[in-house]
Amino acid sequence: MHASRVAAALTLSFLLAGARPALAHGFGPTYDIPIPLWLYLYGAAAAVVLSFLPLALFSRKERDSPNRYPRLDLFRIPSLRKVLSSRLLTGGLRLLSVALFLVVVIAGLVGLQSGFNFAPTFVWIIWWVGFSLFSAFVGNLWPLVNPWRVLFDWAEGLVRRLGYRDGLELDEPYPEALGIWPAVGFYLTFVWIENVFSGSYVPRNIALFALGYSLITLYGMAFFGKETWLRRGDAFSVFFGLLGRFAPTEVRVKNPDVCLGCDGCGDDAGCVNCYECFASAAPEERELNLRPPAVGLGLPEKVTPGGAAFVIVVLAGVTFDGLLETPLWLEIVRLTPVTQTLGTILLPLLFFGIYLGFVELSRILGGGGEGGFWRFAAAYAFSLVPIAIAYQVAHYYTYLLVQGQMIVSLVSDPLGWGWNLFGTADFEPRYGIVGAGFVWYSQVALIVAGHVIAVYLAHSISLRLLRDPGRALRSQLPMLVLMVLYTMTSLWILAQPIVE
Amino acid sequence: MARSVILIVVIVLILGGLFFLLRPDTPSGVPRDRTIAVSIEGGEMSPAEISVNEGDSVTLRVSSDRPMELHLHGYDVEGEVGPGQKASLRFEADLTGRFEIEDHASEKELGVLQVRPR
Repeated sequence: MHASRVAAALTLSFLLAGARPALAHGFGPTYDIPIPLWLYLYGAAAAVVLSFLPLALFSRKERDSPNRYPRLDLFRIPSLRKVLSSRLLTGGLRLLSVALFLVVVIAGLVGLQSGFNFAPTFVWIIWWVGFSLFSAFVGNLWPLVNPWRVLFDWAEGLVRRLGYRDGLELDEPYPEALGIWPAVGFYLTFVWIENVFSGSYVPRNIALFALGYSLITLYGMAFFGKETWLRRGDAFSVFFGLLGRFAPTEVRVKNPDVCLGCDGCGDDAGCVNCYECFASAAPEERELNLRPPAVGLGLPEKVTPGGAAFVIVVLAGVTFDGLLETPLWLEIVRLTPVTQTLGTILLPLLFFGIYLGFVELSRILGGGGEGGFWRFAAAYAFSLVPIAIAYQVAHYYTYLLVQGQMIVSLVSDPLGWGWNLFGTADFEPRYGIVGAGFVWYSQVALIVAGHVIAVYLAHSISLRLLRDPGRALRSQLPMLVLMVLYTMTSLWILAQPIVE
Repeated sequence: MARSVILIVVIVLILGGLFFLLRPDTPSGVPRDRTIAVSIEGGEMSPAEISVNEGDSVTLRVSSDRPMELHLHGYDVEGEVGPGQKASLRFEADLTGRFEIEDHASEKELGVLQVRPR
C-alpha cells in the first residue's frame, strides 16, 4: 500500500483505538486554524452593522404575498425538461442510491473494521456533510433518492404485481398530536451518535444502525402510510426538507386542485416542494423552478406539533458539533455534572427556551398578532436556518474538500480487502487545497452573509404575520438581538483553539 | 432611494475602516530559516504545539526517550527517533493549517504543527 493510504488508514484506526477519548467525533483530523481574535471581532461587528441593511432597505415595502419572488421554470426549456424528467436519470439515481446503501451495509458488516472501509467516510463525510450542503445549495433530492422510500416502492410494486391490490400500506390513523416529534427524537439520537457515541466511526456500528433505522422506517411507512411517516417520523426526510427550503430550486404544482386534501402542502403558499403532489400531478402541471436562495424559508408553514422544535434541535445540533471541540466545553464537562450525552439534550432545551423567550418578546413589541404564539414560534424558527447553514459550511467545507477525497480510493476498495475495482485505490488525497488565510476570510464572510439573510427573512416573516410595517419593524428588535447572539456564537466557536 | 444609498455608503465606510483598524501587520516580515528543538518524554511532546509562518524553511530537531516513527501529517515527512538517535524533519512550510505529528508505531498523536498564513 501507498504511504499516504497507510497514513489515512492509521488515522482512522487511531480514532477507533480511542486514543483521543474527548474527540468522539466521527471524522478524521481537521487542518483548519481557528480564526484570529481580530477577525472574530471584525466579523461580529460586521454582523451587527449589516443587520440594519435589510431592515432599512425593506422597511416600507410590505410584501402582500410571500409567493411573489422571481422564478424561472427549468421545465420550460425543452431539452432540460427531457433530461431532468427522463426515467433514465431519475431511475438511475434511485438505483444508485439503493446500491450505495447496500455497499455501506455490506462494507460495515463484512469489511475491514479498523482502517480502510467505505462505510464511515461515505456516511459521515459524503452523505451527512456533502449531501446536506447539496440539499441547501442545489436542491433537495432526498425525496427522489431516499433508499428507504425506493425500497418500499419496489416492495409495494412487487406485492401489487403478485395480486395484493391493497399494497403494503395499512394506513392506520396517525395520532396528530404527535406531530413530527418522532422525527425530533430520531434526529436527536442521530446527533448523539455523531457527536458523542465513541463507536460512531466503527463500520459495523454504522451498518447496524442503518439496518435498525431501516426496520423502523419501513415499518412506519407500512403502518401509517408511506408519506405520512416520511413527513413526520423520518428524521432525514424532515431534515433535508428543511435544508431544501433554503435551496435555489423548488418543485411546484401549478394547479392547486391537485393538492386538495394533501396534508403536506402549506396553507396559502401554493404547492411548493410537496413531492407527493408533484409526483401525482400531470407532467404539464409540474414546474421545476430556479428561485432566489432562502426564500423557501419565508413561505407560510403549517403549524405541526414539534415543527419549531425540530428546527431548533437542528440549530442546536449544528452548534453542539463545534462546541464539543472548545476548551469551554471541556471545562464544563470537567467541573459540572454535565456529560456529553446530557449536553445533547440540554443544549437544544437551552436553545428552545431562549428562542421561545425572544419570540414572546417580539410578539409583545409587535402588538400581538393573529394565530397565537405557536404560529409565530413556528414561522420565525425558519429565519434562523441560514445562520446554521452558513456555520455548517464554514465549519465543514475544508473537511469535505480534504477528507472527502478519501472516497476516490474507497470506491475501488470498499471493503478494505485490497481490491482495485476502478484503478483508483492508490489515489493520494491532496492537502492544502485552500490556504488557511482564505479559510478564515471565507468562514467569516459566510457567517456574516448567513446572518444578513436571516435578518431579511425574519423581517419578511414579520411583515406577513403582522401586516403592518411599523409593528413589524418594532417586533424585529428582539429577533435581531437573538440573531446577533446566534451568529456570534458561531463565530466564537470558529475562533476557539481546537482541543482534543 | 437616496437614503438607502447613503446607508450603504456609511456601512461600507464603517466596515472598511474597521477592517484596516483591526487587521494586524503581517507576521514577522520575510520567510526565515527556523530550527526548532523538540523533545519527547513519556509520550509527551514539548512544545506540544509548534507554530511557524508560511514560507519558513523549518527543521525540527527531535529527541525522544523512546524509539518512535514520527510522521507529520499534510507534509508527509517521516523520521525515526529514539534514545541516542535524534531526528531532523526538514520541510518548506508552504501548506498553511494545523497538522498532527504522530508516532506511527503506537498510532498516538504527539502534538501539532501550526503553519500560520502570511
